[in-house]
Amino acid sequence: MTVDPNVLFAIDLGAATASAALIGPVDGRRRLLGSLALPAGVSEDRLAGHLLERIRRADPALADDLGLDDGALATVPRRIVRSAPPPTLVVLAPTVRARLAVERIAGVAGWRTRGASLEPDGTIGLTRTALERGVDALAVTGDPATSREETTAMAELAATVEGIVGRPSAPRLIRVGELARDDLGLEPEAPTGEGSIYAPGPEAGEPPGEPLRHLLERLDPTGPTSRRSALTALMDLAAALDRRIELVEVGFDGALRAVADPHGLEAAPAFVPAASAVPLDLDDDAVDEVLAWSTVALDRHRMRDRLRDLRLSPWLEAHGDGARLRLAAARAAVTRLVALTPWLEALPAPDLIVVAGGAWAAAPGPAIALAIADVIRRPGTSQLAFDHARLLGPLGAIEDPVERQALFAELADDLLAPLGSLIVPLGLRAGRSAGRLTVRGPAGETSLDLVPGGLQLVDLPPGQLAEVDLRFRDPVGMGTRGRHLTVQVGGGLGGLLVDLRDIPLRLPERAERRRALLEAWQAAFWAGGDQ
Amino acid sequence: MTADVETDDRDLELVPARRLLDPEPIARFELAPGDRILVAEGDRVSVGMGLAERQREPRVDDGPPVAGAAEVDHPALRAGDWWPGDGHEAGGPLRRRHPRSPAGELLHPEDGRWRIATGSHVDVLEAPAAGTVLEAIPGRGLTIRLAGSALAGTSAAGIPTRGRLERAIGETGLRGALDVGRAGAILVVDGRIDSEAIIRARATGVRGVIAASLAGKDLRDLQASEARQRASLQPLAPFAVLVLDGTARRPLAGPVADLLGALEGREVAIVVDPPLVVFNPPNPAIPPPGRDRVRVMGGDLVGREGRWLRGAGLRRFPAGVLLEAATIALDDGEVATVALADLERFV
Repeated sequence: MTVDPNVLFAIDLGAATASAALIGPVDGRRRLLGSLALPAGVSEDRLAGHLLERIRRADPALADDLGLDDGALATVPRRIVRSAPPPTLVVLAPTVRARLAVERIAGVAGWRTRGASLEPDGTIGLTRTALERGVDALAVTGDPATSREETTAMAELAATVEGIVGRPSAPRLIRVGELARDDLGLEPEAPTGEGSIYAPGPEAGEPPGEPLRHLLERLDPTGPTSRRSALTALMDLAAALDRRIELVEVGFDGALRAVADPHGLEAAPAFVPAASAVPLDLDDDAVDEVLAWSTVALDRHRMRDRLRDLRLSPWLEAHGDGARLRLAAARAAVTRLVALTPWLEALPAPDLIVVAGGAWAAAPGPAIALAIADVIRRPGTSQLAFDHARLLGPLGAIEDPVERQALFAELADDLLAPLGSLIVPLGLRAGRSAGRLTVRGPAGETSLDLVPGGLQLVDLPPGQLAEVDLRFRDPVGMGTRGRHLTVQVGGGLGGLLVDLRDIPLRLPERAERRRALLEAWQAAFWAGGDQ
Repeated sequence: MTADVETDDRDLELVPARRLLDPEPIARFELAPGDRILVAEGDRVSVGMGLAERQREPRVDDGPPVAGAAEVDHPALRAGDWWPGDGHEAGGPLRRRHPRSPAGELLHPEDGRWRIATGSHVDVLEAPAAGTVLEAIPGRGLTIRLAGSALAGTSAAGIPTRGRLERAIGETGLRGALDVGRAGAILVVDGRIDSEAIIRARATGVRGVIAASLAGKDLRDLQASEARQRASLQPLAPFAVLVLDGTARRPLAGPVADLLGALEGREVAIVVDPPLVVFNPPNPAIPPPGRDRVRVMGGDLVGREGRWLRGAGLRRFPAGVLLEAATIALDDGEVATVALADLERFV
């Protein structure tokens, strides 16, 4: 039997999650036929074969129509993307301040950073850090010298770097900033080739640091990955849906945040290894960030152990307490992502927030919606959707832009699972009631009081549209400022979330009270979440 | 429920697999600037042979003068090279001679002289197993392909070590086993263990501990104890702890317990990067675990083992989570449906 030429496997082999989706024509249009996600390590053939068997069992007639017989596994084309661990950049500087300025920018350009400063670490510490295994590049930077001591420190740093790069095993050198060029006696070089590279300083450009971020992104040696493909997919999706879309992708080895409109990216995207679902370095801060979102009562030691085990086996115990722990870790990851991307946080609320990545792979849809509402807090109205079949990476890797955009136009309804809509007003005054909300939809009219500090849920199933009439006692900000606002919203697995909590969200300091509050919010969204 | 006989192993390959034996283990030994490498790439090393001298407290000192092009009658020195010193450990000037310098690793030239990383106290890093040096990079480390086979763990701490393998059952068994008669042994502990018991084991001359699981706090306590010992400048005996599974309490996996049982009384080594137990394969060879043998790694049945029966498709688990599931027959005859990702199999 001949397989229909429009059938395609889209496979995303992530660091923790391997997923496959089968796309094929139904009634003359390409649709998502099925998808599957499993722990990484399973072979690509077995993954695709398992999905194929499942589809054949679920709909034998469709499988026959498309020619999906025993031989189809070998003949159906596959679009495969893979994740790769982020590259490592070591930053050397005379002072901690100068080092952190470069690390901050490299950290949103896809690099995992380590560093050493002459001040506390000395020559041996600098050399040791630069020569560690797994270092892909070495950046050297410095502050303008304003005293004899600083000039001496820069000369010592220059000599140390000369010694490091003189070794046969030295990583590639990036010299950052005017100062590095002048004091180290180096000339600018083009950012290609294998020699050392001159890069603009962390304060250069508009916005400051953007030229350095852009250069470091270009220097990322990992090549095309599913995360990079997802960025291409975001732009195509924004064009196909004619919407402003924000992508929040969190995976095992990093995260991606970007905002696109139908014409392209609105601001620089952020590839942030530090916002991975479980950080590589589980220091006290990283553990406390997860504890702050956890509804599972654990002390710091136990939480660190649970996170370490989660890093070792990301899919182990993905149910019960394990599911709640994962969502706490995912919230902490998004919190880090938001903190490291202030230029994206400053943009107005997008029309649609697309959530993607392995961190959410086993989570129930409404729980994902609440997690995003907890952390990304912009005033306005947004729809929420989930890349449930992990299609953004594989489809974004299609080279032909015409073919890619056509596929997104056909698949847009299938590739995103609607999670619901989110309404977040800014500037509510404390009190018993801030106003009244009326939802007019296919199921009739619902009306409720708007209680400041609360999180209210209106049932609105996927596929349904509704008109929401908001009447506040005092003017509020929701993109525009006013007392009376009417917005159109779409339904989803989580329904309509009217979020009247503080911006940013404030949680009780005491752990018991914080957990109780988080559990109360979660209970409304996560059926069986307390099991 | 009792085990039924209907099995379907098509989905067995979806279960995360773990390699029981690595037939060509490769070990890395981290070094820092100032450490002296005693072997070269391609060298064959035997057990106990010195691989490197590690500086306890490296410092920067003045090294030899940077030679001008006309003065060089041998290959020019470069960063990373070992400077053997010129016979004057204090490095002070003598009459009518250039200032002399101690031995150390060349770091960089400065003001006409090399700066070197040197120190006063060294620990010799010995080869815990025989092998061939693949890579020897000053300031970074050594990579050695080890002879024999290896069992992989999830984490390890300490100094690569070697000893005869002995078993102790649980923490009580370990405490009972801690006497000087165990000096030179590597103990396999099947059960709970903490840092206090491990530190006592080290004090009695035990060379290493292999545990199924160890809490992170205990591992950190052990590392802190080791750092204190190092700071005291007393010679450190090689001692390492290797954790096979992680931090959650689990018994040793059946195939792993069988393997370690077969190695009891024989010499094994622990290396820490990556975490490995290295040994010569037992003779007669241990039969590999059955293809359908699975172990539960998480959930209510953690630590139980059994036989794969069939895939069970998508199932709803606690907290309303939908996951791929499998039906397995546990060793006591009970049939259970567990999340596929909570299983592991040995290959």
